[in-house]
Amino acid sequence: MQGFLEEIAETNGLRDQSPSLKLLLGLGCMILCVSSSGPLAPLFVAFTMSLVIIFMARVPVWYYLRLLLIPLTFALTSTVVILFLTGGGEVIWVLDLSEQVSLSVTTESLNQSILVLARVAGGMCSLFFISLTTPVTEIFSLMRLAKFPQEFIDLSMLMYRFIFVFIEEAGMIYRSQTMRLGYGSFMESVRSSGMLAGALFLRTWESGENLILAMDARCYDGRFALLEDTPTLSVKSLILVISYLVLVLVIACLTRNMTIFEAAI
Amino acid sequence: MSVLIETKDISYRYPNGPLALRNVSVSIKEGARIAIAGQNGAGKSTLLQMLNGMLRPDSGEVLFEGKELAYERKKLRELRRRVGFVFQNPDVQILAPTVYQDVAFGPVNLGYSDSEVRTAVSEALHYVGLSGYERRPPHNLSGGEKKRAAIAGVLAMDPDVLVFDEPTSSLDPAGAEEIMDLLDEMHENGKTIIISTHDVELVYPWADTVILMGDGSVLKQGTPEEVFINDKQLRFAKLRMPALLEIYSGLVARGMQGAGAPPKSALDLIHLLERDRHGEMQCDRCGSIYLADVGAISEGDLSEFMHKDLVSSVGAMGSKAKFLAEKESLELDFTYGVIDKCILKAMNGRDSLILTSGGMVSRVHERVQAFGEESGRHVGIISCCPEKSSQAVERGLEGVESGVWEDS
Repeated sequence: MQGFLEEIAETNGLRDQSPSLKLLLGLGCMILCVSSSGPLAPLFVAFTMSLVIIFMARVPVWYYLRLLLIPLTFALTSTVVILFLTGGGEVIWVLDLSEQVSLSVTTESLNQSILVLARVAGGMCSLFFISLTTPVTEIFSLMRLAKFPQEFIDLSMLMYRFIFVFIEEAGMIYRSQTMRLGYGSFMESVRSSGMLAGALFLRTWESGENLILAMDARCYDGRFALLEDTPTLSVKSLILVISYLVLVLVIACLTRNMTIFEAAI
Repeated sequence: MSVLIETKDISYRYPNGPLALRNVSVSIKEGARIAIAGQNGAGKSTLLQMLNGMLRPDSGEVLFEGKELAYERKKLRELRRRVGFVFQNPDVQILAPTVYQDVAFGPVNLGYSDSEVRTAVSEALHYVGLSGYERRPPHNLSGGEKKRAAIAGVLAMDPDVLVFDEPTSSLDPAGAEEIMDLLDEMHENGKTIIISTHDVELVYPWADTVILMGDGSVLKQGTPEEVFINDKQLRFAKLRMPALLEIYSGLVARGMQGAGAPPKSALDLIHLLERDRHGEMQCDRCGSIYLADVGAISEGDLSEFMHKDLVSSVGAMGSKAKFLAEKESLELDFTYGVIDKCILKAMNGRDSLILTSGGMVSRVHERVQAFGEESGRHVGIISCCPEKSSQAVERGLEGVESGVWEDS
C-alpha cells in the first residue's frame, strides 16, 4: 500500500507537532487565501507552504508535485473558462469563432482568472499541508476536543479503519479479474466492474456481520476506544505560526488592490 | 485440575446450512493446553464459537464452571471477559485506527479507569512484543504483527481462557513458531489455552489434550500420542500422522524392542535410536546449558557474557527474552522447542545459552532433570548471574533440586 497520503502523514517530519497547531496553520492560511482580494498573498502562501511541506515535513518532492498536479489541472481549465466568459475593462485579445460568435479576453477577466488561480493554489497547498502532516487519527482526537458527538467520532473511526480493508478487498478482486482477462474489451470491462461492485457489496455485508461478532466478543458496551494523547503544543511553534499568519494577513491587506492591469472604474 | 468448560451433547445447524455439530461433548480442564484438530469444515470453529456464547447450540448445553450459560447480554459480557476469543483473520478483529486504541477497546468497554486502561494496554503490548507500536495504524503491520496485535487486544482484558481459531494459519513457519511460543508463555502464566488447527506437526509437541473432530462430531479426545497414533482415524479426519510418530510407529512395526513412550521431539527420537543401537545415549563430553533469567539479569550482563564466547548457540523462550535479545542485537538460534534443542547440543558436546523469564526458568530445570533420569545423561545447568537468579530459582522451583548437576 504505497503512496497513500496517510502513510506519508504517519511518518512526516512534523509528526510530533501538535495537531491543533497544524490545523490552525492550514485552516488559517486557507481562510486568508480565499478572502484575499489580491493574488500576491495566496501565491505567497502557496510558495511558503510548499517549502514547509518539502523541507520541514520532508515529503518527497516528486510525490508532492504529482499530488499538486491533480487540482491544478482542474483549476487551470476553469480559469480558461473565466478568462473568456467574464467581461469588463479593455479588450486585450479576441478569438473569432464565427461571424456572430467571438470570445474575448479583457483586462478584468485576466485579473479575475489570475486571482482565482492564485487562491486555488494557496488553498490547495494549505490543504495538502494538513493532509500530509496530520494523520486522520489525530483529527479524531481534535474532533473530540471540539466536542463532536461521541457516536459521530466512533463511526468515523470505524469507517476509517475499514477503508483500508475495503481497498485491499477491492484490489484483490480486481487483480483476480485482470488475471483472468476481465478487462480486455470495453464490454468486458463494463461487465467486470459490475461484478466487482457486486462482490464488494457482498463482502462488505459479511464484514459488517463479522464486525458485530468481533465487537461482541470483546465485550462491546457502547464505548469505543479511548483517544490517544496528542503531542502537546509548544509555545515557540505557536508564536511562529501566529506570526506567519499575521504576516500573510499584512501582505493580503497591503496588496489588496494590486492587479496586473489597472482596474477599470 | 477442575473442569472449566464443558459441552454436553450440543448440536448446531447454520441457518439453511448443513449440520455443523452433532452431539458434541467435550470437557476442558483449567490450565490445559487443548488443540482441536480436524479438516476444514469439521466444525472446529463452530465449536470454538460455542465456548464464549457467540453461537447458541440448537440442542444440548454449554457449561462454564459447572453453570449453564445464560444467553443474556450482561452474563455473556462477563463470560466473554473470562473467555477471550482471537479470530482467525486479524482484520476482522482489529477495529480501531491505531494499535493502542484497538488494544484499549476491551478494557474501555469493561469500564476500566484511564490509568488502568493505560497499564493494561502497555502490559499486553509488551507481552506480545509490540511495545512501541502504539501509534501505528493496523494496516501498516505485517501478518504476524497483526496477529499479535489481535492477541494483545484480548490479553488486555485478562481472560482466564484464551480461544484461538487457527492461530498459525497464513503465517510463515517462523511466525507460526513465534505464536506457539507465545501460547506456551501464556499457558505458563496460568491461562487455559484452546486452539483449533490442522497443523499436526506444530500441535503434537505442544498440546496436552487433543480433540479430533471430523464431520461435526468428536472422533477422539485424549493425549496427542493417543490421538495421533491412530492412522485410520486420522485418515478419516483428513489429517496426517506427525512425522515423529510415523517414524516411531514404523520402528515399532519393524520390531524395535522397548521403544518406550512415543518421542515428542527430535531429541527424544535420537535418544530412542541410540538407546536401541548402543544401549544408551552417546556423549563423550556432555556440554552444559547456561540459563539466564532475563527478569533478574541487569543491563550489560548479557553482552558481557556473550563477549566471553562460551556458547555456540543461543535460544530464547518467551517474549521478554526475545525482546531483550533484539535490544542487545543478539542473533537467536532457537526460538521454539528451545530446551530440547539445547540438550541435543549438549549431547554433542556444545554449550548453549537459554534466555527466559518467570516460570519458564523452572521448566528448563524440570525438562533437563526428566531427560537426565530417562537417559542417565545429566546436563549441567549454569545460572548466568548466580547471586540474583538464585532467588528466581527459589521462587520458581519447588520440589525441584536447584543448582548445577554434574555430568555422570
